Amino acid sequence: MSPPLLEIDDLTVHFPSAAGPVRAVDGLSLSLERGQTLGVVGESGSGKTVTFLAAMRLLERSRPEIHGRILLDGVDVLTLPAREMREIRGPRIGMIFQDPLSALHPLLRVGDQIAETVRAHRDVGRRDAWAQSVAALAQVGIPNADERARQYPHQLSGGMRQRVMIAMALILEPDLLIADAPTTALDTTVEAQILGIIDDLRTRLGIGVVLVSHSLATVADVADTVAVMYAGRAVERGPCQAVFAHPSHPYTWGLLDTVPALGAERSRLVPIPGSPPSLIDPPPGCRFAPRCAYRFDACTRHLPELVERGGGHADACVLPVPGRGARRNRLEPPGEEAAA
Amino acid sequence: MIDGTRTRPLLEVQSLTKRFPLTRGVIFAHSRGAVHAVEDVTFTVARGRTLGIVGESGSGKSTTARMIARLIDPTSGTIAVDGTDITRLVGADLRTLRQQVQMVFQDAYGSLNPRQTAGQIVGAPLRVHHVPGDRRAHVAGLLERVGLNPEHAARYPHEFSGGQRQRIGIARALALSPTLMILDEPVSALDVSVQAHVLNLLTDLQDEHGITYVVISHDLGVIRHLADRVAVIYLGRIVELADAAAITAPRHPYTAALVSAAPAQPGTGTGTTRQRIVLTGDAPSAITLPTGCAFHARCPKARLISGDPHRVPERCRSERPPLGPDADGRQLACWYPLESGDDLIGAAQAMAIPVSGAQA
Repeated sequence: MSPPLLEIDDLTVHFPSAAGPVRAVDGLSLSLERGQTLGVVGESGSGKTVTFLAAMRLLERSRPEIHGRILLDGVDVLTLPAREMREIRGPRIGMIFQDPLSALHPLLRVGDQIAETVRAHRDVGRRDAWAQSVAALAQVGIPNADERARQYPHQLSGGMRQRVMIAMALILEPDLLIADAPTTALDTTVEAQILGIIDDLRTRLGIGVVLVSHSLATVADVADTVAVMYAGRAVERGPCQAVFAHPSHPYTWGLLDTVPALGAERSRLVPIPGSPPSLIDPPPGCRFAPRCAYRFDACTRHLPELVERGGGHADACVLPVPGRGARRNRLEPPGEEAAA
Repeated sequence: MIDGTRTRPLLEVQSLTKRFPLTRGVIFAHSRGAVHAVEDVTFTVARGRTLGIVGESGSGKSTTARMIARLIDPTSGTIAVDGTDITRLVGADLRTLRQQVQMVFQDAYGSLNPRQTAGQIVGAPLRVHHVPGDRRAHVAGLLERVGLNPEHAARYPHEFSGGQRQRIGIARALALSPTLMILDEPVSALDVSVQAHVLNLLTDLQDEHGITYVVISHDLGVIRHLADRVAVIYLGRIVELADAAAITAPRHPYTAALVSAAPAQPGTGTGTTRQRIVLTGDAPSAITLPTGCAFHARCPKARLISGDPHRVPERCRSERPPLGPDADGRQLACWYPLESGDDLIGAAQAMAIPVSGAQA
């Protein structure tokens, strides 16, 4: 059996600070098969972006302490020398950032920026690289790609800029595309377009996609598997359908309850009380325990590991509620108003 | 809540239009057209109720909000608050209006002075409008009401989280006990888990004080949650205006696309099987408005009527549909409103720009 396309094994990323190490990622394990989409969901500061910046080895300037392994096709990228890493970034892993305007050079035509990527990695001439660049723009659904390639980032709309980013990330035909909140700054109609393009390219090119978002609902349409992150750890993961329909970790319940749903009867939203814990001095036991309406003694004593509950659906929670997978049967949280 | 049905609506907006002129040349400036930001927008909001305005970036929803708050002047049309025409108020009358109409902005950090403490920021409206009484106690009460610790009044904006900053913005808007609050994307910059707190706070404040809200958002879920009525705006014009409950069964093809593009509903298990109506292309330019219906170039329903993914009916291209009531009393601007059984998803897919073949 071939190894998974991406396997993150017990990853820890700690940043030094005056007050002590900041545990941005603390014991995270994930995996992604070729041709699939992994949705990674969590609040700001849950460690989702840091995880994938670590996979791209883009964190080195902040001098973090990194432990664990990040395997791309079985090769640990964390141990590669810088020279070999340059052949991973771009040719093997493409990355799309949240804010395309700050990720694009404002003074270069977008076509040149894509062509530059080609020429940095392939022995092709200027004209050839330009032609490839235009073809890549057409591939992500940009009309009049020839003309658009000659424009500067500020002349393009937000959705167009994000397509340019996708074209740039995919031009070297990587095996893995990491999209870090690619639609956060976009309208819902444009978001639908962008997610559609990414999904279409995944099926046609057979690449693996990591889709990072702070909203479970956003990834629900396109992800095959989902990992929910909280305070640097995965608290739940499994097939998207299962996690979405039968979430089993109280934090995931909370995330789903906080979203005003379009079809549902209008009712009071149930926010998650409190705020995420300090990553310098995290609470003992389960990191979510201080905000969890269901906590009991055991929660503050042990840090729960992910436990498989069947069908690839795993959660890190010690709550012994029968039929926990059926979210509608769950217990009413005690003192919901008091907690807020 | 005060019954709004017998009294005059608190907010009446009539034929509101805003065009931003485009000029070229410095000494001999000459016009080269205008950005038609808002065109002929008419609506009313009953006292204590909420109107949601939803649309894409550039649709003119924020311009509308700013005109109601008198931050920019309309090109034409009238705005009346509580029966008074406020469109051309100046001087002392405008200052009085500012007490009645307050605004909460999307970017809480950008709209708070970084060199002022939370207490100074929230107390500023009281100072400017010479509100008598113990200002410090008043500010403490406001901070407490929006869920902030009054002891944090001495802190600066950067010491607060995003959600807390938005609460400061809300406390400031609340300081002068306004009758109308304009909320421009009040939660879109916040994490989903923080959004719920702020949305609940806004609901509570309306229940307590009977404040009338106009909420601007591109997130239909947020609009649906806060609003009683929803106006859908496309390229500066209202294309559909309906009760919030009815908006999930839209009749305008553009509303249908917005509804289908909204993220899936949690817990329903429909997430991964649902299909979206994906609109092709961007919204057209507001400088050279399309003829006929502004949506015709992206409209899947027009293709269903013509039976050809590359053609639209002549009427959609040449005649602009007026906004008028349909049989159920919703306002609609469409020649061919949606009927049940219309396969918009199929029509939208047929329209999609064919993505070129595999990578070279």
